[in-house]
Amino acid sequence: MELDDLKNDWESVTSQTTKQNILTTKIIDQMTQKKYYSKIKKIKYPELIGGIVCLLGLSFVGFNFNKLDTVFLQSIGVITILLLMILPIISFLSLTQFNLKDDLNKPYAETIKKFAYQKLRFQKYQQANVFFSYLLLVSIIILLPKFFYGKDISYNKYFWTFAFSFGYIFLLFFSKWVKKFYNNSLKQAEELLKEIEP
Amino acid sequence: MEKKDIFIKSIQENERVIYKVASFYTNCKDDRDDLVQEIIYSLWKSFETFKQNSSLSTWMYRVAMNVSIFHLKKTKKKVTAVPIELGVLNFPETVLDDFEEKLQTPQKHIMNLNLFDKGILMLYLESKSHEEIAEIVGISKSNVGTKLSRIKEKLRQQVSK
Repeated sequence: MELDDLKNDWESVTSQTTKQNILTTKIIDQMTQKKYYSKIKKIKYPELIGGIVCLLGLSFVGFNFNKLDTVFLQSIGVITILLLMILPIISFLSLTQFNLKDDLNKPYAETIKKFAYQKLRFQKYQQANVFFSYLLLVSIIILLPKFFYGKDISYNKYFWTFAFSFGYIFLLFFSKWVKKFYNNSLKQAEELLKEIEP
Repeated sequence: MEKKDIFIKSIQENERVIYKVASFYTNCKDDRDDLVQEIIYSLWKSFETFKQNSSLSTWMYRVAMNVSIFHLKKTKKKVTAVPIELGVLNFPETVLDDFEEKLQTPQKHIMNLNLFDKGILMLYLESKSHEEIAEIVGISKSNVGTKLSRIKEKLRQQVSK
C-alpha cells in the first residue's frame, strides 16, 4: 500500500463531511458539568473492592493476633498485616498513573514520552503488587490453621500438603500469564521510547 | 465577546479536526463518540493556555492528539464515559460508515502502527507540510521526512505479510 493511495482515500472520505456548528454555550456548560460526575465515576471498583478486602483481612488478623503464640507465627502475623497495608497503597499509586493533567498543549512527541514512562512505572507497580500477593498467599496459608483450629500448620499434614500444592500450581500459571502480559506491555513502551529518543 | 463565545466560534471553524482525529484513533462508533467528547472538554479546559504562539489549528491538533493517547488507555480499562445527549455527536453517520468501509483494510494496518507513527501519518494524510508536522509533533523537519519513509516501509511490509 502506498501512502499516496491512503491519502487519496482519506481525502475523498473526509471531504464529504459538512460543517456542523454543533457546539453551543449550553452544550459546553452541560459537558463541563457532566465531566465532573464522570470523574467521580472513575473510582475503579476492582481496586475499591480489593481495598475493602484488605481492610477486612487486616482487621481479622489484628483481632486474632493473640492466637499466635510463637515468635514465628507472630512474625508471620506482622508481615501479613504489613502486606495487607502495602497492597492497597500500591493499587492506589498505580491508579494515579496515566494522567495528562495540564500538559494538553505540549508537542505530541513529549506526551508520548510521558505516556511511555507512565506505562513503565505502572508495570513496576503491578509487578510489585503480584510479588506481594505471592507473599500474602504464603503467609495466610501458614496462619489460617492457627486462626480457625488453634493448631499449628504442621499438625494436619493434609491441609498444608493440599494448600501448598494448590497454591503452587495456581501461582505457576498465574505468574506465567502475568509475565507474558508484562513483557508485551513493557516491550511496547520501550519501543515507543526508542522511536522518540533516537 | 465572552470567552465561551470565542471558544465556540473557534471550535465551529475547526470542528472537523476533532472528528477526524477521533476517527483516526478509534475503530468503533462508541469509542469515537467518547473520544470526541473528551477532546472537546479538553480543548475547553485548556483554552486559556492557547496563547496564539501557534495557529489555532496547530493547537487543536496537539490537544486532540494528546488526549487520544491517554483516552486509548482509558478505553482499554473500560472507563465509562458520560453519555452525551443534545445531538452533540451528530457527525453524519453515513459519512463515517463510508469512511470506515473504505478505510477498513488500511485502518487495520494503521492500528498496528505505534502511537508515534500513527500521529505523524495522520498529519500527513491531513496534507500538513513537513514544517507543520514538525511543529505539532515536536521533532525536526528533517526527522519528519525520515519517519514518513519508515512508516511507508512498515505499511508495505505489513501488507506483504
